[in-house]
Amino acid sequence: MTLASGISPGRTAVPASLAAALVDICGPEGVVLEEDRLLVYESDSLTAYRHRPGAVALPRTTREVQRVVRAVVDHGLPLVPRGAGTGLSGGALALNGAVVLGTARMNRILEIDPENLRAVVQPGVINADLSIAAAPFGLCYAPDPSSETTCTIGGNVAENSGGPHCLKHGVTSRWITGLEVVLPDGSKASMGGRGRSPQGYDLVGLFVGSEGCFGIAVEIEVALLPVAEGVRTMLAVFDRLNDAGQAVSDVVGAGLLPAAMEIIDGPTIRAVEESVFAAGYPADAEAVLVVEFDGSEAGLDPQVDKAVTICCRAGARETRSARTEAERIALWKGRKKAFGAMGRITPDLMVQDVTVPRTKLPEVLGGIYETGERYGLVVANAFHAGDGNLHPNILFDGRDPDQLAKVEDASKEIMRLCIEAGGTITGEHGVGLDKKHHMPLVFGPDEIEIMWGVRRAFDPKGLMNPGKVLPDDTAPRAVAAEPRLDARARTGSRGSPTPVLALFPADRVLEGEAAREWCGGVPTRAVVFPKSVEEVQKAVHEANRAGVALTPAGCGSWLWADGWGREGDVAVSTLRLNAVRHYEPAELTMTAGAGLRWDALAKAAAANGQWLPVDSPGSREGTLGSLAATGASGPLQRRYGAVRDNVLGMEIVAGDGRVLRFGGRVVKNVAGYDVIRLLVGSQGSLGIVTELSVRLFPRPEAVATLLFRDARARIVEIARSVCTSSLPVASVEAVQTDGDRTIEKGRASGGGQLALAVRIAGNQEEVNDLRERLTDRAGVQPAGTLLGAESDAFHEERTRWEHGAPLVVRIALLPSLLARGLEHADRLEALLDRGEFSADAAGGVVRVKGSPQAEDLNRLARQLDQASIDARALGGALSLANAPPDLTARLDGSCAGSAPRARRLKALFDPAGVLSPRCPSVPRRTTERAS
Amino acid sequence: MTKAMAALAEAAAEQERGLLACVHCGFCLPACPTYRRLGDEADSPRGRLYLMQAVVEGRLSADSDAFQTHLGRCLGCRACEPVCPSGVAYGHLLELARQVASDARPPPLLSRILLVVFGKSWLARPAMFAARLLRAVRLPALIARLGPSAAAPGPVRLGMAMLAASAPSRPPASSAKSVAAPPPSSRSSAAAVRPAPTAGVLAGCVQAGLFSRVNRATVRVLEANGIRVLRVRGQGCCGALHAHAGDLTAARDLARRNVVAFENANVDYVVVNASGCGAAVASYASLLAEDPAFAPRAARIAGRTLDVSRLLARQGGPAPGGPVDLTAACDAPCHLVHAQGVKNAAETMLAGVPELELVPLPDADECCGGAGIYGLSQRELGHRIAKDKIQAVLTTGAAVVVTGNPGCMMQIGAGLRLAGRPLPVLHPVELLYESYRRATP
Repeated sequence: MTLASGISPGRTAVPASLAAALVDICGPEGVVLEEDRLLVYESDSLTAYRHRPGAVALPRTTREVQRVVRAVVDHGLPLVPRGAGTGLSGGALALNGAVVLGTARMNRILEIDPENLRAVVQPGVINADLSIAAAPFGLCYAPDPSSETTCTIGGNVAENSGGPHCLKHGVTSRWITGLEVVLPDGSKASMGGRGRSPQGYDLVGLFVGSEGCFGIAVEIEVALLPVAEGVRTMLAVFDRLNDAGQAVSDVVGAGLLPAAMEIIDGPTIRAVEESVFAAGYPADAEAVLVVEFDGSEAGLDPQVDKAVTICCRAGARETRSARTEAERIALWKGRKKAFGAMGRITPDLMVQDVTVPRTKLPEVLGGIYETGERYGLVVANAFHAGDGNLHPNILFDGRDPDQLAKVEDASKEIMRLCIEAGGTITGEHGVGLDKKHHMPLVFGPDEIEIMWGVRRAFDPKGLMNPGKVLPDDTAPRAVAAEPRLDARARTGSRGSPTPVLALFPADRVLEGEAAREWCGGVPTRAVVFPKSVEEVQKAVHEANRAGVALTPAGCGSWLWADGWGREGDVAVSTLRLNAVRHYEPAELTMTAGAGLRWDALAKAAAANGQWLPVDSPGSREGTLGSLAATGASGPLQRRYGAVRDNVLGMEIVAGDGRVLRFGGRVVKNVAGYDVIRLLVGSQGSLGIVTELSVRLFPRPEAVATLLFRDARARIVEIARSVCTSSLPVASVEAVQTDGDRTIEKGRASGGGQLALAVRIAGNQEEVNDLRERLTDRAGVQPAGTLLGAESDAFHEERTRWEHGAPLVVRIALLPSLLARGLEHADRLEALLDRGEFSADAAGGVVRVKGSPQAEDLNRLARQLDQASIDARALGGALSLANAPPDLTARLDGSCAGSAPRARRLKALFDPAGVLSPRCPSVPRRTTERAS
Repeated sequence: MTKAMAALAEAAAEQERGLLACVHCGFCLPACPTYRRLGDEADSPRGRLYLMQAVVEGRLSADSDAFQTHLGRCLGCRACEPVCPSGVAYGHLLELARQVASDARPPPLLSRILLVVFGKSWLARPAMFAARLLRAVRLPALIARLGPSAAAPGPVRLGMAMLAASAPSRPPASSAKSVAAPPPSSRSSAAAVRPAPTAGVLAGCVQAGLFSRVNRATVRVLEANGIRVLRVRGQGCCGALHAHAGDLTAARDLARRNVVAFENANVDYVVVNASGCGAAVASYASLLAEDPAFAPRAARIAGRTLDVSRLLARQGGPAPGGPVDLTAACDAPCHLVHAQGVKNAAETMLAGVPELELVPLPDADECCGGAGIYGLSQRELGHRIAKDKIQAVLTTGAAVVVTGNPGCMMQIGAGLRLAGRPLPVLHPVELLYESYRRATP
């Protein structure tokens, strides 16, 4: 019997040969073929759209995923990955009869490695289940989308999901450290992994948030977070929503960093209170603000007290604190289930996911309600106020086509409103099907073209989740041939740099010896100092015409490394692009020219009690641009995330001269692919960074560094113990220091003394408490304790540690392999003049520096090769931040990581290979593992 | 449009608890035992609601394999209800949809026969007698013991194992305690202040036929706790099995009969010791909603209905008894924990029993796969679900399993027998009664 809509029970939509192949791969129970049974897959959590797939395959293993992918693409059919189908942007819908690859059966946690705070899971593992499984080890998985009890980690990776606690702990991409991916041709590729990114482009970061367009993540390595020792949740009740919005800005402005700050507005409160998840919110309130702090017990109450005071000052009529864990869960339940509870008051629901800078909240909220009123629609809001991530829920009845049209218009108006306020169209739900038409509101044609290119680099045939993310009418007309890097790309300059230099007045050009000196002795042909983006653009255009290689530079402090600059090349310094464009302290973001020097940045932030918590080696001599271009992170990433996690927006001049802007001033942003992740750490090979937006943090009230000194084995032990504890330390670094400090230098190989510098930060109560407890944990009194400015000075000094050393080696290994890393460091150090090493014990990076001695060069090269092989065998990597050419010439193994994909990505931005031609990000050899 | 379809459509239109309240959020997916095992969204509550909606909208035929298969695979455990933020009354919609499904395609003969037998006491009584006779000659136990096998048992073997599992099993003899515990107080002091509350016990069909000892234990335990138990004549099967199978007409007839019977008995409480029946009686009002004359009467009776564990809790907890030196794992029947919202029923009843050690049962609130005649109608899947429950029981190392529903008792008991580990499965009230017996000098 065929019904009106044309659904024939039992009829199969895909070709019989494909149906048979799928059954053969997944078994009869693992495939859904009949049209009537496929009905339930026509929507995800966004029911405004219905698209029935051609078939559903439910593989269990990586091998089965590969076979399904091959079978489907061999039939020329598109493929759509689907987790739990909880997405709110229609990302898992199958357009044009695509085959759905469901990950529900790939739900095994493959490994939990408490020593290194990591886990490896299959994509179908439910978010909350991972935290439950990690709980016995005192660990959790930090991102907590409201659908955490049902959504899958694979889906989280695809959408770069957020959640309430991302305010403090960051979104999904901060926590994904490695991926095994089945690509659209059925091959398998490894990215990152074992807790670290290899050298080269950050493909893991690029993949996260790609909405199923790049491939299917089949194994996901995540970083786990020690469960906070204590949590305090408070609630403030407001009679005016604007007051609640103001309270949010005030809390942040006062230097507090809550784990989460959520606002639930009046209509939502009433829906929740009528549902089974009644949280005891007062039904007559116009807003409740939930604020949660986590951390060590001692520091929590003072923070709550401060927040209560601030809320009362902002006009709260009442504040409450959850007295028991049950009350805390109830407070949250009301927020987390708000979306479902709306079902009580409306047949249909359109959830928006706009993000605005925090200070614009009151203004934008007013605009949203006004828009709703104008269209005669009820809008209810429950949202991540701390992140400025709004979720206006428009209530309507989808059976009324008139209403549906109004909802669409109102939605678009709301998005416009947010973009005008400096925000974006989606903070965590993704673009999917729902918002792809709105992408041109945020991105220009060039950016969209780049995103198409990135997508095609993974999926040349366009068969992965087609019809999503990017507007259809912007698609490249034909499937482009693989972009090729120009033959010149590797060879550097051939032409004369004169036309490039001619663009600049004489006072902004350095040539000859002056240029060489400016670049720290690297024989660069010339240095130019553009004052505007347009000048940079002109220089790049001219370089393309003249066949001149350009080396992006800040103040030249990094050019000594790895010999990027070479004779004949022209360095383009962004030093004159150093204006602070936008800095609103309550937003905790700063937008500035790439040439802004660290000192200037730090000073501006400090004047407002804020800082950029980055301690990358060499960062103090450099500029904001160089920080992003090198992308290296220091020991502080343990607490504050890596550089890539704190870059929010970027403007670059690509190698082909186009000006491209990605991201913005908002903390959460998943509009389009995460090109920023690709750019950060790309070492100037894709574009010249001209402007950046970074996330700042409130400066901690108190800081201290405890220095423990003991035998090597004990130090390693203490480091492990501290790193795996729930004590919220900022960084843990094993150091050798000169005798002028509290620590003497321990010289004896293998057995000598080392010092462990444990940095703590927080309010005074917390720091005092942590000092005691760290000492207890270490089982030895600290040899010294540096407080306040002394502690800061110590760590500032550490960032300069590598600078100027002719050889700088970085060995990245799992933190549990610290002792092994130190063994390599010993051997290398012994072959160096003024050799020294240090280790980021939490991040698992051992650094060695020194001057190679001519008579030891061969032995040193052999030792480096050996260490590199060993590191790779253990899943890590060895890289040279700086090395003299006569040493690198003797190395046999290439230290590069990435792949042909990297070359394609480079070609998208810089087809002629004008920028940083010798940059190590673009490998010469294919080392990507494939099967 | 058939009458059944109209009923489903009407319920769907009723926004407060209808299909439209489902916002497709997917929170129910991981709560659903069939989705977790099969991974197909059509076997999830959200998917089944979507199919129901499609049938109501006329996009899908009630006769289609999709509707029939996926509704048929639902255990009816209602684990999805507590996690649903929209408050969808899934259990109620399922019953309506099952009726639509069985109108379109008659259910298998076996289940039709069973429903007829349970529904008519003149058929049920001889059938139960025959079953008890069979049980007494220990043939079922013998068949169940034919060596453990990993594959799903055939319907005969499973049925026999379930019958064998219904046999009375005394808790393993504990080391006899010479210390005489105080006899359970009869709460006479309270009785002196106000008259003892009266209660009638819903005897049930299977419970009366195969678990009369549980009914007896219930009466004794209630009496020991100062409740006057009255005999309720004219009562019968609660109709739960019929409602779950979509035979709402029969279910309503049975409901009316029970409402009348308990009205006539004029008791303060209707006590139920089978959680499936308890959930059914609690929903009599919505079942009889279209009968305006009867609906308020049904609501009154439903309002007085309590699981035995809740009545004891309401009386201030069970009176103390004698020691029972055992370790017991407490299972939580779906229709108690999900449908009636009664958590830790067995634990609260048994917490005060001296020397009884209650060990936590992993995923205790997960369905055992009993679900009426699920084990017979969905053999493979039922077996997989049962296997996990049995595995969980065996990992606890407990000597007995305690659960408050005859279907679960038989299902878990059968599973243990088939696995070659025939642990006793008791109703908590049986164990409590045992404690009282041991207290009596």
